[in-house]
Amino acid sequence: MNHDSAKGTKPAISHLIWWFLFANGGGLAALVLPVHILVQGVLGPLGVVHVVDRKYDTWISILGNPIVKLYLLALISLAFFHFAHRLRYFLVDLGVPAARTLPAQVIFYGGAVAVTGVTIWVLLTTAPI
Amino acid sequence: MAEKRITIRTTRFDPEKDKAPRLQSYDIPFSDESMVVLDALNHIKAHVDGSLSYRWSCRMGICGSCGMMVNGVPKLTCNAFMRDYWPRSITVEPLQNFPIVRDLVIDMEDFMHKLKSIKPWIIRNQEYPLGAGEHRQTMDQIDEFRQFSECINCMLCYAACPVYGLNNEFLGPAATALARRYNLDSRDQGLKDRLPVLANAEGVWECSFVGECSVVCPKGVDPAKAIQQTKLDTTTRFVLPYGNREG
Amino acid sequence: MTLPGGDAAAASTGSATRVYKPEMPRGWWLRRRHYFQYMVREFTAVPMALWLLWLLYEIQRAAGGPKVYYPSVSPAFIVFSVICLGFALYHSITFLSLAGVIIHLKFMGKAVPPRAIVAAMFGLWLVASVVIAAVLIGFAR
Repeated sequence: MNHDSAKGTKPAISHLIWWFLFANGGGLAALVLPVHILVQGVLGPLGVVHVVDRKYDTWISILGNPIVKLYLLALISLAFFHFAHRLRYFLVDLGVPAARTLPAQVIFYGGAVAVTGVTIWVLLTTAPI
Repeated sequence: MAEKRITIRTTRFDPEKDKAPRLQSYDIPFSDESMVVLDALNHIKAHVDGSLSYRWSCRMGICGSCGMMVNGVPKLTCNAFMRDYWPRSITVEPLQNFPIVRDLVIDMEDFMHKLKSIKPWIIRNQEYPLGAGEHRQTMDQIDEFRQFSECINCMLCYAACPVYGLNNEFLGPAATALARRYNLDSRDQGLKDRLPVLANAEGVWECSFVGECSVVCPKGVDPAKAIQQTKLDTTTRFVLPYGNREG
Repeated sequence: MTLPGGDAAAASTGSATRVYKPEMPRGWWLRRRHYFQYMVREFTAVPMALWLLWLLYEIQRAAGGPKVYYPSVSPAFIVFSVICLGFALYHSITFLSLAGVIIHLKFMGKAVPPRAIVAAMFGLWLVASVVIAAVLIGFAR
C-alpha cells in the first residue's frame, strides 16, 4: 500500500463539515422526532388525543407561525444531513466502497440540500406569512 | 479420574506450500484450570507439532504480542482462560484484518506506520534549555491523558474494527488514542502537527463509532472515546478559531 | 505470485515471502451481536427519513386549502408510524447515550462524569418531548 499518498497530509474540511451536520442533525432528531411520531403518527390518528394537524384550521394556523416554520426547517434540514451521512457510511459498511468517493458525497449531501430546498419552498407556500 | 482433554483448532499457512490458510486440529490435555490459550499453543509447539508459528512474550498481558482471534473474538491468548471454553473446542486464528505471514503470525507493518504517522512524542515549539530543569506536571495534568497512555499496541482494536477491515487506509483506534495522549499532555505543543493526519479523509472522520475497539481493548484505553473526542475537538477548533481550544 | 482470494505482497519483514490477505466477508455484521446492533442503529436513518418526508407531505397538503386537506388516518399509516417510532426510539437511546462518551466538560476544575452528561441528555429529551407534545395538543381543537 502506498504510504506516501497526498491524502495523508492535510485536514479534510469537507468531512469535518459533514460530520458536524451529522452530529447536530442526529442530536436534534433524537430529541424531538419520537414525540412527533408518537403524537402526530400514532395518538392523533388513533383519536386518543386532539392533535393540531387533525383539522385544517388549526394546522394552517400553526404553520403560519414563523417560529414554527424555522423549527420545521431546522429539524428537517439537519435531520436529512444526518440521514445522508449515516446512509452513505451504511453503504460503505455493506461493502460499497464507492460510497466513499466524491461523486457519492455530491449525491448524498446534494440530496440533503435538495430536501432543504423543497422544505423551504413548502414552508413558504403553505400558510404564507 | 479420566484426564480432561480439549480440541484446539489453529490456522496453518505455509506461504511456500499453501495456497490459502487452513485449520488444523490438535487434541491436548487440559490439566490445569489456570491454563490459558497461550499455554495450549506452547504445549502444541513443545510436544505435538513444533512447526506451529505464533508470537508471544510476557504471557501476562502487558507486552501486547500474543493477540489472536479466539473463537472469532480478538483476545490476548495469555488472557483467554481455557476453562471458559471447555468442553467446546477452541479455534485460534490470526488477528483479523491483517495480512497473514505464516500460521498465526500477521504482518503488522501498516500498524507501525500508522503509529508513527501521528508523531507519538513530545513536540515543543522551543525546548527548555537543560539548565532550566525538567517539565513539571501535576497529577491532574497526568490524569488528563493517563487512560490513553495505557495502550500496549496489541492491535486487538484493529482486528475488531470493521471500518479498518473494509478500508486499510483508515488511521484506526490505537493510533488515534495515542495521538490524543500527546495532544492532551500539558508538556506537548504539537497538536497542529498531528492535525493533518488526524483530520484527513482517512482519519477520524472514517470512524462510524461501532465501538467494538473499546470493547476488546484489554487495557481499558477506550480508543472509541479518543476518536469521538478528537472529532468534536477538531470541529470546535474549526468553528471557534480563538476560543474553547484545548491547551 | 497471486493467491486466490488475496493479494500478493512482499512481507515487510524484508524477505520475498508471500502474505495472504484475507477478504472481509460481506456478512461481517451478522457474525457478532454487537455488530448487528450497530447496523440496526445505522439503518434507523431510513424509517426516520421516510416519516419526516411524510410530515413534509402533510404540510404541503395544507397548501391545497380546506377542501383538499385531509389528516392521515389509515391503519397502514398508523402501523408505519409505530414502526418508525420504534426505530426513532432506538436512535434516540443510542445517540443520547453515546453523547456522554464524546462530550467532555470541566466544571470548576473537575471533569464532569459521563453519567451526568447522559442523564442531562435524557432529561433534555424529556423536557423537549413534553414541550412539543404540549404545543401539538394544546393548539388543537
